[in-house]
Amino acid sequence: MNNQSTPNTILEAKGLSRHYSVSRGFLQGHATVKALNDVSFQLAAGKTLAVVGESGCGKSTLARQLTLIEEPSSGHLVIDGVDIANADAAALKALRPKVQMVFQNPFASLNPRKQIGSMLAEPLLLNTRLNASEREQRVREMLNIVGLRPEHYHRYPHMFSGGQRQRIAIARAMMLKPAVLVADEPTSALDVSIQAQILNLFMDLQDELGTAYVFVSHNLAVVEHIADDVMVMYFGSTVEYGDKKTIFEQPLHPYTRALMSATPAIRQEDRRAKMKLTGELPSPLNPPTGCAFSTRCPYADSRCRAEVPPLRPLANRMIACHHIENIAR
Amino acid sequence: MSLLDIRNLNVSFGSTAQPFHAVSGLDLTVNRGEIVGIVGESGSGKSVTMLAMMGLVDAPGRVTADALQFNGQDLLGMKAAQKRKIIGKDIAMIFQDALTSLNPAYTVGFQLMETLKLHTPLRGAALRRRALELLEQVEIPDAKSRLEAYPHQLSGGMSQRVMIAMAIACEPKLLIADEPTTALDVTVQAQIMELLVNLQKQNEMALILITHDLAVVAEVAQRMVVMYAGEVVESSATDALFATPRHPYTQALLASIPEHSKGARRLSTLAGVVPGQYDRPQGCLLSPRCPYVTDTCRSTKPALLPLMGTSVRCLTPLDSSGIPTHE
Repeated sequence: MNNQSTPNTILEAKGLSRHYSVSRGFLQGHATVKALNDVSFQLAAGKTLAVVGESGCGKSTLARQLTLIEEPSSGHLVIDGVDIANADAAALKALRPKVQMVFQNPFASLNPRKQIGSMLAEPLLLNTRLNASEREQRVREMLNIVGLRPEHYHRYPHMFSGGQRQRIAIARAMMLKPAVLVADEPTSALDVSIQAQILNLFMDLQDELGTAYVFVSHNLAVVEHIADDVMVMYFGSTVEYGDKKTIFEQPLHPYTRALMSATPAIRQEDRRAKMKLTGELPSPLNPPTGCAFSTRCPYADSRCRAEVPPLRPLANRMIACHHIENIAR
Repeated sequence: MSLLDIRNLNVSFGSTAQPFHAVSGLDLTVNRGEIVGIVGESGSGKSVTMLAMMGLVDAPGRVTADALQFNGQDLLGMKAAQKRKIIGKDIAMIFQDALTSLNPAYTVGFQLMETLKLHTPLRGAALRRRALELLEQVEIPDAKSRLEAYPHQLSGGMSQRVMIAMAIACEPKLLIADEPTTALDVTVQAQIMELLVNLQKQNEMALILITHDLAVVAEVAQRMVVMYAGEVVESSATDALFATPRHPYTQALLASIPEHSKGARRLSTLAGVVPGQYDRPQGCLLSPRCPYVTDTCRSTKPALLPLMGTSVRCLTPLDSSGIPTHE
């Protein structure tokens, strides 16, 4: 975790922001929702960055920027050395296959009218010059890699269970051998035993193909298992970002600590002292002044409510909190 | 005497010639003021069990049981009108997805007061006061204005609180919570669980928590029932279940949680999925997936038998070191 780009950095975000303009109703004018504010990170090839936070924290907005589905309002996104701000249409077309995505709900993300084989061949059809038999061969190889059987080639999505569907979604995302895979809550719709199978698949694919992952999740147990780096987000901004071990061994930001203490644990020794958060995420149309977390933070004072805390380096991580020195310990 | 006593509950769907048993031979007792967790994967029959007990399984579903007793009354032979007096009052249920459980066309206050009107003599200002009191009890901020709010104006956590307020409106003796926090964020989940447990303590209510997330129930339940493919495979005190799982399925379920394999690159998994309607094996239902399967397991259906204070449905239950006991 340093601020210099290392040679094997595959994905880098510098001050990435995305603001949406929303209508407030007739004659009311428009309001701006700041869904993503000044988010920066670096992801090295073959590594996993976990983005953690609750609904409304900007995780999915971030995923949409990274996969070039939307253009950021400001900031830079550098994919494999190419800044997308300077890229023309042809360059963008060449970049898109490098970042692929797996969605949360495998019951909604697969076209019910398409056979698995043709679904998986589509990325090849659009982005490569392979002929039909070469495409079929590549699809069959991929089915094998993700643990599906050859006879699944001609089947439709409704014939599969949730875990198998997620395997199909992963296979589709991996067809073009992307350098980065963005997975938005890929296991949250699955049972624990199936979740374990899918997490193992992610790990195996990474070992085999060297894909870097941006793994969006709210499940800290999953994140602790799969991540190399962890970025905790709240209300569109990064509140704590660092190496997994550092963050899990000594979470510093009050929000990170609240998240960890709220995660239920089976073993007595894993349970952290409960830190009760009151209230819920503020409305994005009416954001609090100062620190976004100040409305729920037990340590908040007048400074927190007035001044936005900058993200600064402290204790081997980046953290955004005015009082971290006073409240840590 | 226990508050709820279910013996040999069977729920089946489909034709009588080729029925699909969603729940078979289920026994469950719940005492007053007790928290019982029912865990299992999707398709294991957790929710159907509770729906059957509430009388919410419609034809062509068939429900049979040797006994279905609540608070000394027999729910099975009871007339529908009489049953309605108990259900919603003494037995209440909250569902997984609060946003779809509330009626979008009516205000929260209206829906809350509707329940109260049906089961209590309260009317007019007293009714409104009670509704407000309930919203305050479930810690909804600015409760007074929320009475006039429509469900779409509430967040997921808030709607779940409203559902809980409706469920506890008539001070039920038994509250069934079907995946109450699955759709919620972790910090909100923690708040809702704390609320449920506090209410349970205050009102000495029995609470059945249905979930697929073992960690959620681990912290609160006194007793756990593990279900697999419509059957209870293990039933035991919570601590004992987590310390020494006796059934291979319980063991596998615990092992597949990332928390349990800290530091390991791979998680241990149970291959395959819960058998469906057409691929249920002849012997033990877990036999195609069980790592300790023997030939006997493939041909013989095990019974739920007591073993050192717990009940286990396995021919070779695991010993305290997690290894099957072969005789």
